[in-house]
Amino acid sequence: MAQLATTQAAQGVGKKVAVPHKPFVAYGFLAPAILSISVLSLAPMAYAIYIAFTNFSATHFLKYQWVGLANFIALFNPKDPLFSVFIPTLEWTFLFAIVATAVNYFVGLLLAVILSNRLMRESALYRSLLIIPWAVPGLISILAWQGLLNQNYGQINGFLHNFGIPAINWLGSPIWARISVLMVNLWAGFPFMMTASLGALQAVPSELYEAAAIDGASKFEQFRYITLPHIWQLSLPLLIPSFAYNFNNFNAVYLLTGGGPPRPTNMFVGYTDILASAAYKMTLTYNLYDWAAAISVVLFIVVAVLSWLNMRFTQSFKEDVV
Amino acid sequence: MSANVSKAGSADSLQSRMRPFRRTLPRYELVGLWGSRVFIWCVILVVLAPIWFVIEAAFNPSNAYFSLGLFPSHPSFANFTYLFQQTNFGVWVRNSAVVGLTVGIGQVAVTSLASFAFSRLRFWGRKYGLMVLIILQMFPNFLALAAIYTALAKLNLINQLWVYILILMGGSAFNIWLLKRFFDSIPRELDEAAFVDGATVWQRFTRIILPLSTPMLVVIFIFTLIGTFSEYVLAGTILETPNNYTLALGMYGFISGQFGQNWGYFAAGALLAALPLAVTFGLVQRFIASGLMGGVKG
Repeated sequence: MAQLATTQAAQGVGKKVAVPHKPFVAYGFLAPAILSISVLSLAPMAYAIYIAFTNFSATHFLKYQWVGLANFIALFNPKDPLFSVFIPTLEWTFLFAIVATAVNYFVGLLLAVILSNRLMRESALYRSLLIIPWAVPGLISILAWQGLLNQNYGQINGFLHNFGIPAINWLGSPIWARISVLMVNLWAGFPFMMTASLGALQAVPSELYEAAAIDGASKFEQFRYITLPHIWQLSLPLLIPSFAYNFNNFNAVYLLTGGGPPRPTNMFVGYTDILASAAYKMTLTYNLYDWAAAISVVLFIVVAVLSWLNMRFTQSFKEDVV
Repeated sequence: MSANVSKAGSADSLQSRMRPFRRTLPRYELVGLWGSRVFIWCVILVVLAPIWFVIEAAFNPSNAYFSLGLFPSHPSFANFTYLFQQTNFGVWVRNSAVVGLTVGIGQVAVTSLASFAFSRLRFWGRKYGLMVLIILQMFPNFLALAAIYTALAKLNLINQLWVYILILMGGSAFNIWLLKRFFDSIPRELDEAAFVDGATVWQRFTRIILPLSTPMLVVIFIFTLIGTFSEYVLAGTILETPNNYTLALGMYGFISGQFGQNWGYFAAGALLAALPLAVTFGLVQRFIASGLMGGVKG
């Protein structure tokens, strides 16, 4: 491998680059990252994938064996108990990730468009105020929301009480718990989208607007035909990673509702559990390592395919010719 | 009225062009502007209200049940004194600060070395290596828990703060990508000039690339710092005794225990923990947008 590396690098040097490079120097620079990623990400991942093909769990703790694809077949087999855990959770995970990403994006974009109005000269102040939720560590803000949304003692219900609105069971009823998870996620997530959209808006060349104005385009037409396509082009690379992030957004669910309220049909997952929190519970609460690993592998495949498509189509990884 | 201005004589229209903001705005723009302002004010109120509720609870000594007013009736520092005298809050803050700062510095070092290689050096795997690493790192990391826990238990390394730090130090492919995009936007002519002047690779890295990327390095440091403050899963697995707890574990304990009793303490702690981070974040705010969009403009 080293041989190959040397020759390839040598060819590369000869053809394209003015500055010669020694490949061993490159590996020196890479060593800390590659070593730590291998030990802390890749090795445990290989282990988890291996577990997904065994029956390793609390009941088979010392003597576990290779079971092939049995766990994956069980995930998609309606007669298997794992099916009733997996499919409803999978549906909610998709719903959560899609709605959360879409809502965060559109709220962020709307605010960015409003704030980029040149006549609003104090907009930098508004931006600083609106970015605050991003600056608070997620763990602290989500836990605080858990307190604020408490049905009996929480200040949100206390505040609504002033207006004669009866106490809402924010975290205890299935539908409100799901709305709460999305709401808190919006609160914590829109500043990122707003900042990114503002950056995209500023990157639109102003000559385009001037040219359009000369051609007689109205403000709305300028927005529709110049601003939107540009923002879309710049923000698409952020949308899919954001979807993948929410698909895996353990903290947003687990720290707020713990996955609850519980479903009457099975003991393992609740109404707001996404695959990530389900796999976590399977590992640490129920010691069903095989199920957790199988769920994680499915989770990983979805996220990996999406990310790969994103990289392909947005070309965020296209290498500029050196 | 604006129509009159544009139809008026050439001298007038020149004047109006020279002082664009003094001229009376068209009616629809004024309505739009004030409509936007009122809308933004409402959004800001809704966004900041929950933060105000937490501040109010922190200074509300009655410490049980919600208060209906917007201000605590007898504000005091009772919750804060309780935190420092009756709990390990001070120790948790110290632990979290040690972890956050060390991991932040370590991550910046690991990330910048690797990003430099991906941006400026040639080696086998340069083209797709980073992409593959990013995709692989999307594997849910808590599944690594079982493996990491077993390994640490065998080596007798559980419940050590430095082990926790070391594990968080693992390279992040996403950060490497973010920083690489920034490095890519630094003109190559600078490197080449340095090379012609006899600079080594290491000198090009430390004397040219790093100083020019300070804003982005700061952004990565801050993101890592805030990230470690929110890290719960690994901390919960590795750290076992309260004097090794990080802020995340301690605060989680408050809220998951008796809620009604602890809410005031939690609020006070949340305020103390979030304030320094939020202020730092505010200071580097202007770097963040350019950092996120750096590759696009570059």
